[in-house]
This record gives sequence, C-alpha cells and structure tokens, in this order.
Amino acid sequence: MERNEILKQVNAIFVDILDNESLVLTDSTTANDVEDWDSLTHIHLVVAIEKGFAIRFSSQEIQSWNNIGELVDCIASKK
Amino acid sequence: MNQEQNSTMNYIVDQITVKNQLHSKKIIKNLAKFDEAYFNRANDFLKRYVTLLQNEGKTLDYSIDCYLQMIADVNYESVQFFQTGEYTSKSFDEVNQRVYNNPNVMEYYMHGLLLSQFLWTHHYDILLYFNKIINQNAAHINNYLEVGGGHGLYISEAIGITGAKANYDLVDISKSSLDIAKRMISNDKVNYILSDVFEYFPEHKYDFITMGEVLEHVEDPVALLKKLNSLLSDNGKLFITTPTNAPAIDHIFLFRNADDIRKVIHEAGFNIENEFSIYSEDMPAEKAEKYKVSMMYAGVLVKK
Repeated sequence: MERNEILKQVNAIFVDILDNESLVLTDSTTANDVEDWDSLTHIHLVVAIEKGFAIRFSSQEIQSWNNIGELVDCIASKK
Repeated sequence: MNQEQNSTMNYIVDQITVKNQLHSKKIIKNLAKFDEAYFNRANDFLKRYVTLLQNEGKTLDYSIDCYLQMIADVNYESVQFFQTGEYTSKSFDEVNQRVYNNPNVMEYYMHGLLLSQFLWTHHYDILLYFNKIINQNAAHINNYLEVGGGHGLYISEAIGITGAKANYDLVDISKSSLDIAKRMISNDKVNYILSDVFEYFPEHKYDFITMGEVLEHVEDPVALLKKLNSLLSDNGKLFITTPTNAPAIDHIFLFRNADDIRKVIHEAGFNIENEFSIYSEDMPAEKAEKYKVSMMYAGVLVKK
C-alpha cells in the first residue's frame, strides 16, 4: 500500500472520529496541532485504524507515535 | 495554581507532558477547573506519598514512569474493550496470575494507582461526595469498616470527620496494599486486618462500611455485597463506588451502565438511599456517551 494512500485513509479516519471536516494531516502533525486529539480520542482513533487497515498494534506501539508520520510508518510496516 | 505550593504537582504534569503528550492534554484540561482547596488536598496527599517513596529509596520520576506504564496498560485494554465489548480478564484466577501474583506488575500498578488519585480528577468529586455522606452520618458511626483501602484517603477523611471517636477497621486481601495504607494513613486509630473479606467474621456489626472500587475486581459482586450486608448493623450504611466501562488489567466484572450496578445492589438485599455519578472525562454528557467514557458511580446503600 502506498504511503500517501495510508496518510489519506488516516486523514479520513481522523475527520470521522474527531468530527472535524477541515482537518488536513501531514507527516509532521502532532497532538498539539489538533485540539481534540487527546488520550481519549486516541483510543478511538487506534480502534478505527485497526479496523480500517485490518491490523493490530501492540501496547508499546499505541504509545509510541510522536507525529502522524510515525503512525503512517507503523501502519506501512504492517501492510 | 500557586507555583511554589504546587511544585510537586507541577513537576508531575511537566514530566507527563514530556513523556506522553496525549495524556498530558487530558491532565492539564482536568486540573484547570479546580480551586485552591483541591490543590491543598492534593499537596497533602503527594507530600505523604513522596515520603513513602523516599523511604523505599525511590523517586517521583520512578513513580511517574510507573503511572505512565499503567496508562499504557489502560490504553491497550481500552482498545481491546472497544474491539470486543468485553474486559480481557474473565476470572479472579486469571487476574491473580496476571497481576496480583506478579510482583513486577503489582509494583508499577500500585504506584500508578496512587499517583492517579489526584490526577484523575473525578476521584476528587467522589471524595467530596463521600465527605458529605460521612458528615451526615457521623453522629451514628461507632464502628467503621473499610474494605480494600490502599490509598487511605477515605478512611483518613472518615476519621477526621467523625472526630476519631469510633472504632476503625481496614480489611484488605493484599499485604502490599495494606502496607501502603499503613504508610499513607497518618493516624494510629486504624486496625489493619489482612484477610479475604469472605473469611472475616468480626464479633461486632458495623454502622458504616466503605468499599471503593472493589466490585469490578470480583467475579460475583452480588456475593460480595451480600457478605457486606451480613457485616452491617440493621440501621447501618454501606458506601460503595465502582466504574462503568472501565477496562483495566485487573477488572473482571463489567458494568455497562448505572442500571447494571443498581441491579446487583438490589439482588444483594440493599436499597439505594442516595447516589452520585460522574464521567471520568470533563465533557458534555452527549460526547461522553459517544465515546463510551467510563462513569464512576457512588451509592449509599441500606438494608432492605
């Protein structure tokens, strides 16, 4: 799966879970850049990403991403 | 927040921000709504906790790492919960093997839970509710029992409000939990009893029993409440707290809503005299429902 395609799909999941149509994610986007991306919504984002990409994350992975780029890399490594 | 007075709390929040940005957003947001009274209590608690750590040759940084490990566990359990609709542990034996009989896990889990007392701010609202209930009943409390009181907050409040004139017993199945309670409670009025509550048969009945966040740890909450019913005097009161939808490595019994809890209470032969509940996240109820946010339930129960 193309990396850009993963980012596009992740963006769509964030828009859906966070109810924010104007959200545009890049590799360098962090939780500080997205107001509603916190520990609670993160869990729901992880669940939706696992379902959307048919993958599973480990306990460590869920905690490890510092920005969207690292999340996309982690998904890419499982596809 | 007064910077100097709250230096320990500030340090904890700063370190969590460095190590887990996502989690710190919640902590900072929740702490922003509290007043001086909250931070006075938090500072008093943290002061005793830091002394406990120092006596064990440990640091606050160690405790913060324990807390974040516990948060990692909760996050992972939450993902499983939202995938399956169930808690991952189904039996006490399973949790015993996974947590209670696993010293490494118990070590970080106990410290994580202690630090959470004043970081998960809904705990404070429940503590205020408990204070109100104890105040209303103080004149009639001669024998007080607490079941599972690791952090020592409730029994300390009860002693303070009742003027230390009653008999105060604390029963806990775990020696490590009881040891922590002994060090967190700055009062020599408490009788510490290491026992499974099912095997506890005191000579007297209790006027007031407190059991905070224990029901979700057992396979049969009705049986546990029935046991407490047998320990209570005819006009006695039982104060319980338990959460809904709260995945954790040692939670077994899943209450999906307040009605699930009330059903268990009634099955055990109790009526609900008073109750209070609060979501674990500071947000509108509609949003809390959408994200299935855990709700902490507190009830004052009397015999039918």
